[in-house]
Amino acid sequence: MGKWFKSGTPWIWMTGGAVSLSLIAVIGLFLLIGWRGLSFFWPATVYEFSMQNEQGQQSVLIGEIYDQEHVLKQQLIDGGVTGLEDYPESLERFLIKTGNREYVDLDFQWILETIIQGKNIAHDVVVFERTKNGNFYGYLDSINEGEQKLNLDQDGLVDELNLRLERALEFRDKEHGLLTGDIGRINNDLDRIRLKQRKLELDGELTEQKIAEFKASSDALRAEYLGLESELFSYRDQAKRDSVVVKDMTGRLVTMPLSYILDFYQPNDMSFMQKVGHWFHQVYKFVSSDPREANTEGGVFPAIFGTVFMVMLMAVIVTPFGVVAAIYLHEYAGKNNITKFIRIAVINLSGVPSIVYGVFGLGFFVYILGGSIDQLLYPEALPSPTFGSPGVLWSALTLAILTLPVVIVSTEEGLSRIPSTLREGSLALGATKSETLWRIVIPMASPAIMTGLILAVARAAGEVAPLMLVGVVKIAPTLPVDGNFPFLHLDRKFMHLGFHIYDVGFQSPNVEAARPLVYATSFLLVTVIIGLNLAAIAIRNNLREKYRALEH
Amino acid sequence: MIDFSNINPKSADLDELTPENTALEIKNLDLFYGDKQALHNVSMKIPKGKVTAFIGPSGCGKSTLLRCINRMNDLVEICRVDGNIELQGINIYDKSVDVASLRRRIGMVFQRPNPFPKSIYENVVYGLRLQGINDRRTLDEACETSLRGAALWNEVKDRLHDNAFGLSGGQQQRLVIARAIAIGPEVLLLDEPTSALDPISTLTIEELITELKKKFTVVIVTHNMQQAARVSDQTAFMYMGKLIEYSDTNTLFTSPKQKQTEDYITGRYG
Repeated sequence: MGKWFKSGTPWIWMTGGAVSLSLIAVIGLFLLIGWRGLSFFWPATVYEFSMQNEQGQQSVLIGEIYDQEHVLKQQLIDGGVTGLEDYPESLERFLIKTGNREYVDLDFQWILETIIQGKNIAHDVVVFERTKNGNFYGYLDSINEGEQKLNLDQDGLVDELNLRLERALEFRDKEHGLLTGDIGRINNDLDRIRLKQRKLELDGELTEQKIAEFKASSDALRAEYLGLESELFSYRDQAKRDSVVVKDMTGRLVTMPLSYILDFYQPNDMSFMQKVGHWFHQVYKFVSSDPREANTEGGVFPAIFGTVFMVMLMAVIVTPFGVVAAIYLHEYAGKNNITKFIRIAVINLSGVPSIVYGVFGLGFFVYILGGSIDQLLYPEALPSPTFGSPGVLWSALTLAILTLPVVIVSTEEGLSRIPSTLREGSLALGATKSETLWRIVIPMASPAIMTGLILAVARAAGEVAPLMLVGVVKIAPTLPVDGNFPFLHLDRKFMHLGFHIYDVGFQSPNVEAARPLVYATSFLLVTVIIGLNLAAIAIRNNLREKYRALEH
Repeated sequence: MIDFSNINPKSADLDELTPENTALEIKNLDLFYGDKQALHNVSMKIPKGKVTAFIGPSGCGKSTLLRCINRMNDLVEICRVDGNIELQGINIYDKSVDVASLRRRIGMVFQRPNPFPKSIYENVVYGLRLQGINDRRTLDEACETSLRGAALWNEVKDRLHDNAFGLSGGQQQRLVIARAIAIGPEVLLLDEPTSALDPISTLTIEELITELKKKFTVVIVTHNMQQAARVSDQTAFMYMGKLIEYSDTNTLFTSPKQKQTEDYITGRYG
């Protein structure tokens, strides 16, 4: 035994165990959120339950099995459920997602196994994804064009619906394109004309002639807008032409205009490959479309875009600052106690709670800096703030301060690792200190700078608390980048995956509907961070290869 | 303990050098690292177009003296220099002297090859680019001349744009020499240039040194007495920060005037 201890084997087991534990934790977390998040997009089988309650009333429920759990009989009896005397101690109950939110009291229902009399796979059931009120489950009855009912059999119905939905979606796309494209541009231009006029008024240079010019150009824009508006309404009307009649679980016939329907599918009649295709389609829709219904439906594209955009902006800001500060500390500052003190202070900055940075960002960047910018550059827009309110630029700046210590520390480490013989070699050729820095030292330290950036990005992409104060919102109507001048709108608020998780998971009115989205969004956030890091690591490895230090 | 206080290093021929034939003149040089004195009152004249070797046991100050000549010791914060080193009559420690342009006139090659993490070509033209020369043809010509001058051209002419780290140690050292001579210095300082190399590379470098003295004044520090005897025209023996004896190489090795020199070259200490 003593010999075994001396051999170092227990030490190896201990260290190996620690590594495995961390690995299991990381992989476990990743698998959990991956599985729970991604399985949400799989077309679940829709069942038809026939039920009879204690009073002997018959009913039918159509829906997906969302969750199931075991409950103790005693617990149910205490909760007021009667008629359970003959059943075992533990009972199973199912959470059924029934959809049809506007027609039922609860679109997620717990049902106890005791009242279920039969459970069948509901063939021919159709799941509709709608712009409002979530999914609708039911059986196709007929299709109407206007008031006219089309004469079709069951098979023809599905094909016809596909065709007509495609047509409706085309009009919806046109409508959307018009709203974000031309109408967005007109609004933007009108706003700029208003601001220009206000600016001239403030400067006291507003003449009658100018007013007339402004009025003429804004009238022209308004006239153009009216034309576009009628076009918009005609698209809307055309999209509304067809409607589909669906029989829901209570046997009621529901008429839905196709303009409210985004997609439909028949999960119980799909082959495995069709389901796989559908899964990819759904995942694609999730990452590429806008959120709907207070973020509980639809995609997360604005949040992905906001996260990546903000992090990149932060990287652009933090890198030069951090590198310059590290160069000063390492190369120019005297090697004395003040420098040591500054270095310790910088390292300790990374221990400050991030919400403190948020408060600082709000107070300093948004109110003081942004407020002054508004006074100086955008007086015409006041009292409505331009940069004087939270926005993506201030978020990036706040996170840049938050991650500055990381960049400084790793850059300094990189600088100190460069062999002094290389600096001397450059100096001996008549280079000054700054030439040596630019031509030899900084390129060779670039892998270390990238390491700092990787750590900074990893930290910043996951940070939510300070952003809630300096720029993140639940729903941002526009992206920080669009086709309207000046294309980059750094003053705009933005959406963020981290905040989205918080918002969907804890601020949403429909907890059950939001739960899988929390997993999916978390998985996506982790994926985005890993993606950003992998990109940075690839760049770093490339640089390392290029500036491989002298190996003797 | 040997007493060196009454030693007066002098060499008749070297004292009679005319100013035109003198590349460098070191006058009463003292050097301190903090409180510790590393060089004691060193005075010597280094003749133009010759190879001068500094020998002596480890820590005797020969590298320190060499690094004074192009003011590399400026990089050491606690280092302080008294006395003069004159390059063509101008004291290089004068306040008006620009260190960067001084180092362009006095090139240096270090103990270990230290190519930059760039291509062979970029290594050679580094000093020229620093001077703002970016004309492709000038650089190409300078690169070829320097590499030929360093006896490396034939080995690397087909891979000028490969990374310099791909070269062997001896080739890297010759590349560093090419880099130093590309900017056309007057004096070339070699700080134990072969101590990290194998015997064959050492031989190549030694042959190169005899070629180099046709164009440049060469000062070489070496711990290898055979090397000093083979390549140098005059040799300075240093011990404990003092210049003990300085004369032409033949004299120094065949009939040293000082006992310490004789003890060292016959291998009795050091």
